[in-house]
Amino acid sequence: MLIELKDVNKTYFGAQPLHVLKGINLGIERGEFVSIMGASGSGKSTLLNILGILDNYDSGEYRIDGKLIWDLSESKAAEYRNKMIGFIFQSYNLIGFKTAVENVELPLFYQGVTRHKRHELAMEYLDRLGLKEWAGHYPNEMSGGQKQRVAIARALITKPDIILADEPTGALDSKTSVEIMELLKELNEKDKLTIIVVTHESGVANYTNKIIHIKDGVIGEIEENIRHDAMIFGADGSLK
Amino acid sequence: MKIDIDRYKEIIDTLSRNRSRTLLTGFGIFWGIFMLLIMLGGGDGLKKMLGENFAGFASNSIIIGTNNTSKPYGGFKRDRYWLMDASDVHAIKTMVPEADVVTMVEAQWGGSFAYDDRTYSGLLKGLTPEYTHVESPKIMFGRWINDVDCGQERKVCVLGKRVWENLFPGGEDPTGKYIKVKDLYFQVIGVDSRAGGININGSPAESVIIPYQLMDRIYNKGGKFDIICMTLKEGADSDAAQDKVRALLAKRHTIAPDDKQAVMMFDTQKIFSIVDNLFKGVNILVILVGLGTLLAGAIGVSNIMMVTVKERTTEIGIRRAIGATPKMILSQIITESIGLTILAGIFGILFSVLILGGAGNIVSHLPGAEGPVSFQIGFWTGILVLLLLVVLGVLAGLAPALRAMEIKPVDAMRDE
Repeated sequence: MLIELKDVNKTYFGAQPLHVLKGINLGIERGEFVSIMGASGSGKSTLLNILGILDNYDSGEYRIDGKLIWDLSESKAAEYRNKMIGFIFQSYNLIGFKTAVENVELPLFYQGVTRHKRHELAMEYLDRLGLKEWAGHYPNEMSGGQKQRVAIARALITKPDIILADEPTGALDSKTSVEIMELLKELNEKDKLTIIVVTHESGVANYTNKIIHIKDGVIGEIEENIRHDAMIFGADGSLK
Repeated sequence: MKIDIDRYKEIIDTLSRNRSRTLLTGFGIFWGIFMLLIMLGGGDGLKKMLGENFAGFASNSIIIGTNNTSKPYGGFKRDRYWLMDASDVHAIKTMVPEADVVTMVEAQWGGSFAYDDRTYSGLLKGLTPEYTHVESPKIMFGRWINDVDCGQERKVCVLGKRVWENLFPGGEDPTGKYIKVKDLYFQVIGVDSRAGGININGSPAESVIIPYQLMDRIYNKGGKFDIICMTLKEGADSDAAQDKVRALLAKRHTIAPDDKQAVMMFDTQKIFSIVDNLFKGVNILVILVGLGTLLAGAIGVSNIMMVTVKERTTEIGIRRAIGATPKMILSQIITESIGLTILAGIFGILFSVLILGGAGNIVSHLPGAEGPVSFQIGFWTGILVLLLLVVLGVLAGLAPALRAMEIKPVDAMRDE
């Protein structure tokens, strides 16, 4: 079991305490392509933050590859994120004043990889995603799909155990959305990458092999979706 | 923390790709450094310029002058005028242990000097070779008067710079030529180019100097004179020496021992120390004001960095999400701050060096300038300022860096 959550609870203490995650139990195997689906306010973003070691949980247990993720120092958390998790965000989150290739290099920079090797590897990944010609361009010179592919290259470059994609198609049109989802599917099938997609779009969820529904802070139904027919949307290739 | 070129490239990237921000932030530091160095250099240059005026004048000399007595004493009425003679010089030499060189000075205003068809009016001074210990000449041509000139009462003279310029406008070497002074012809033996802001009996530039004995004879002084210049031995107490000289002269000339008006004394040491203290004060003021300006600049940098850290919340959050530790963020912001202050500071140093150089050049060529003037700051001042910049950079970057460290990757994503 690559990812293991046992009775994970999370409460936001504000003016009014908000119990967001109410005992999440979840297991994801290596090489799975799953989506976490839920409406806004269901707790899916909080779950994603915890899965990505971006946020702490109050009680329960979260293990990645057997390692307990609990009470980590900031630097340890940063190291785990760097080595084990690749993030893909809805808004790409590329650094605007860095070129595509420099953005892809950044995780390796924080690993202390030498510049030459870093650059070589980044170019290799950009090439794989068909962006070799765009390596020297800045994010604002690229289309949404291209930016998201740069972000995917950045997520892949450290060879992480888990790819966490937070609404990866949220800012893209339907045609580009299909391209991105096809790309993620291909990465899962060819490279046996573990990919977790958080979304509220059923069409996006339909691309994954397993759909985990989350509602009001608890895991609901878990659908096997090997034949990709769980949803009405997406079956014929249209997403939105 | 590992040090590698990439980290610095990262900083240079961040600074150079946010030009207007870098420019704005750096300006405070640039201005602070510029002001500090301009003031330091200017103050130093002024001090040197004034120092030039004192140059050549013994800083441990005492000038003794005679004046009307202010008190009746020993049967004499008040308001009696008295003069000194060679025996007084000898007495001071033998009776005052602090005295080093003691020599008489005789001067007459309004002498007319002529050479060829040109004339010039200036000062005629009768001096001894020993006088060079009080006011050392800057010999341009020839030599200064010596013992043989005095002993043989040779009719020789040394010209002041302005006298030479007026009598010999061609700028030629006048030694060997004869000039006319008060119906007598004197052979020129040298030119003294000392300008001198501090002088006795008028500027050396306006003077013609002849042997004292000759002067005494020409003006029929009968061996009497009204000024003695003396220098003190190394480390001698000036006040004690003055008391002894005063007592000695009072006794020899039957003057009330407490009659300060009759025996006038002028202590150059006091003047020098006043000027010295003045410049020390000016220096302290300059440094205080300069550091204040610089500090204001650093606070400005800190302030703008603070704002930019807030602006860059997303960027920093992304960096944290993909694996930067808080320590890396801290060192990035502080290095950016240091880089910025040093960059801006170097521009400040360059610019002020340029301005100071230009100012020195202009002042040196002003009419009436006494030779080259330099306002330039010293090399080590520059190095010191550079070190100061590093410290300021760290200080300015500290608060913003600490704030940047607080940024969590989740905050970044929430900020969209």
